[in-house]
Amino acid sequence: MSGIHVTTKINGDEVQFVCEADESLLDVLRNRLGLTGAKEGCGTGDCGACSVTVDGRLTCSCLVLGAEVDGHDIGTIEGMAMGDELHPLQKKFIEHAALQCGICTPGFLVAAKALLDHNPEPTETEIRFGLAGNLCRCTGYDKIVRAVQAAAEEMNSAKKIQQKVA
Amino acid sequence: MAETAEGVIGKDVARIDGARKVTGAASYGSDFALPDQTYAFLVTSTIARGRIRHIDETAARRVPGVIGIYTHRDIAGKVKAGKLMADGGYLGTSIQPLTSPDILHDGQIVAVVIGESFESAREGAYRLDVAYERQPASASFDDASVETVAASEASKTHEDPKVGDAETAFQQAALRIDVSYSTPTQHHNPIELFTTLCHWSDGKLTVWESSQNVWGYKYGLAEQLGIDPNDIRVLSPFIGGAFGSRGSLTPRTAIIAEIARQLGRPVKLVPTRDQGFTIATYRAETRHHVKLGATPDGKLVSLSHEAWEVTSRPDNYMVSGTKATTRLYQCPNIYSKVSITHADRNTPGFMRSPPELPYLFALESAMDELAVATGIDPIELRRINDTQVEPIKGLPYTSRSLMACFDAGAKAFGWHERNPKPGAMRDGDWLVGWGCASTMYPTAVAPAAAKVRLMPDGKAIVQTAAHDIGTGAYTVIGQVAAERLGLPLANIEVQIGDSDLPPAPVAGGSNTTASVCNVVAKACDRLRQQLFQQSNAASATDISGMPLDAVLNDLPKDGIEAYAENLPHGTTQEGIGKLYHGHSMLAGGSELKDRIQFAFGAEFVELRIHRLTKEIRCSRLIGAFACGRIVNPRTARSQLMGGLIWGLSSALHEETEIDQASARYYNDDLAEYLIPVNADVREVEVIFVPEEDKAINDLGIKGLGELGNVGTNAAVANAVYHATGFRIRDLPIRLEDLLAVES
Ligand code: FES
Ligand code: FES
Repeated sequence: MSGIHVTTKINGDEVQFVCEADESLLDVLRNRLGLTGAKEGCGTGDCGACSVTVDGRLTCSCLVLGAEVDGHDIGTIEGMAMGDELHPLQKKFIEHAALQCGICTPGFLVAAKALLDHNPEPTETEIRFGLAGNLCRCTGYDKIVRAVQAAAEEMNSAKKIQQKVA
Repeated sequence: MAETAEGVIGKDVARIDGARKVTGAASYGSDFALPDQTYAFLVTSTIARGRIRHIDETAARRVPGVIGIYTHRDIAGKVKAGKLMADGGYLGTSIQPLTSPDILHDGQIVAVVIGESFESAREGAYRLDVAYERQPASASFDDASVETVAASEASKTHEDPKVGDAETAFQQAALRIDVSYSTPTQHHNPIELFTTLCHWSDGKLTVWESSQNVWGYKYGLAEQLGIDPNDIRVLSPFIGGAFGSRGSLTPRTAIIAEIARQLGRPVKLVPTRDQGFTIATYRAETRHHVKLGATPDGKLVSLSHEAWEVTSRPDNYMVSGTKATTRLYQCPNIYSKVSITHADRNTPGFMRSPPELPYLFALESAMDELAVATGIDPIELRRINDTQVEPIKGLPYTSRSLMACFDAGAKAFGWHERNPKPGAMRDGDWLVGWGCASTMYPTAVAPAAAKVRLMPDGKAIVQTAAHDIGTGAYTVIGQVAAERLGLPLANIEVQIGDSDLPPAPVAGGSNTTASVCNVVAKACDRLRQQLFQQSNAASATDISGMPLDAVLNDLPKDGIEAYAENLPHGTTQEGIGKLYHGHSMLAGGSELKDRIQFAFGAEFVELRIHRLTKEIRCSRLIGAFACGRIVNPRTARSQLMGGLIWGLSSALHEETEIDQASARYYNDDLAEYLIPVNADVREVEVIFVPEEDKAINDLGIKGLGELGNVGTNAAVANAVYHATGFRIRDLPIRLEDLLAVES
């Protein structure tokens, strides 16, 4: 078997790895790179637990081959906090109890961040449908929506203050 | 036992493991990796009954990276079948794959392929050629070859609750409801797959697997593998959802352990989602015949509940929810009978509220039918038949606040504005339906053990082999220790999910908070006692409120430790011995001699059904619950909200469909096994009705994790009736059931 050499950026850092042609990005992250924040709940694109971003776009990493991300930018849950400082979404998820067992949580957070990156002021319905690709069996529905609303509000008011100062 | 000023018990605090979960740092079973680990991929049977005729390994062995193929030829004689938990064992099934060429159900494990990578193992598994000798298989109730037996014949301990003469009273009743209901097969489908990682070192086995019962797994594996339980450690620090599916050991774990032993390398199994439908347990389909007789003013004079449950060929698994349904209302004449039907299926198992969910769906739907027949408001009908004493043996409830829940829920919901006429409430093109139902769940508490260590820096470590399946166990245990020791919550480290720790019961039957918090409180109290006895401050009579600061300096470098065991009401000293052998002696519910212990609630649903498309949408879900002392309102609310949504899901979405001809599942993935997403759920509200129950246990805690999803099923069905005038008696309720609705 000849490995495929891949050069990519993960959470801003350049990463190189060698993988087989049939390895999913999810398996590369989990089994080769030790980034186990992305979870496998189905392997078929149905649960969203494996969510990452590829060039900013929300992606099920179980449906992408590791070899395909050569030259692309990957974002995972491990890159969401700034050191010890949690992202507002992470803080609001904890505060609003939007997580229980937590297995779906990394996927929800990555999806929620991708949503807010594209649409900083989503309506409640936009959040509900924007996160409809993620399953929470425990289930944190409603609280997840409230957490995303609260995070969006906080991020937007922080932005406004920054703009005023500038 | 005075509480310290801090009052951490009952405080609305965020979960202490939250930061680890939002950053991806929390490690679940398959997140662990070991040097030199290999990967396992399962091959499962494509027939439901018969035997393996032949296995050709040639093509599979040729796949680069495949290093082993294990079939019954390698495992038979090395791994023993175990007994069902209900029969005093640790497993969820007595069917142990790979012990013979026989196939007893769809998707039974027939081989395990080991590879250097996950992909090579999978490729090898795809290329393994298994030939079967196929025999006809029966899927469920309606197959000719199934065998139905009375539960009382199948099990010596089974009791069918009865009192008076239900049949005569029914015949003489002014009003009679005589109806049948059914519930489908359902699968837990926790988002974490059923993974297992096994590693041997110096003859000792370590297993990383999400488990609701680490001590039970340790003892069960010891029996299956023929080794000393002390040589086994089961680790389960984080659990990606369980809902009952990880309470009893499944056969896969011993198989993976045995392969790791033979191979001399760690083995990691990550099964697929569809394999999860057949290698673990499920909620079996049930059928119900309910007869209610009542006076014109709504008083029950006769209640009869007959039910049938599906199980596997060899096992007498049953849930027998008549224990609950015969005790919900006052009634002088009650009859019940449970039967089980043996089909060619895997053995079913506990799934969130195993007995209560299907059985209360039937009874609470029938009560709504009685409300319609009598013209009495459904809430008032329940008030008329409310009781503080259960009708079978005349035992008192330790506390029962059912009607207080209805009153609180009705107020929040605005129930008084309901027009009782079906189809009378509309919102544009949408028919609006309001339904409600009672919910109940037994409070069972089990013996448990815990250790607490206090360090000179004022930090404390609590150790007990309990499980946090997402419920918030880490947090509530921490809260109890903080309060009892008089320390800030941030100073408490909680260690659970490890079979090397003092034993705690299975995280089942919603007992963890009550069982574990009570023993942790005891250990903390004992530690304080030791502390103040050792120190010079010992003369004080009441040490519970004394600050620790004064004595911390006197502590040895490695601190001091206290250990405690707790025997709840209705258990005996024997319970500790059992606990130390991986068995949980749960006591409570309707099983006690002197009293009865349940938590109650009232659940309200608002549905919108489109007049043309019959699309069903749930716009509001409200539950009011009385469950003793709430240790943490935030995590408790999460549990109850999750439960309400589970109930909605069960009523409108979930069904595992089985092909009658082949006895095989066909919607075994998350695309076709329907569960709601955020867009399917709107407002969910949880109301806590204050309830103090000093008798139930020292801390006054009732379990609530399974209370939320029970009544919701009937509340949804009752709302469908209210919106449309159609009574759907078979779950789930889908729009195709409503196509005939005229509007
Ligand atoms: S694991 Fe990728 S969507 Fe479920
Ligand atoms: S928190 Fe368990 S699946 Fe979402």
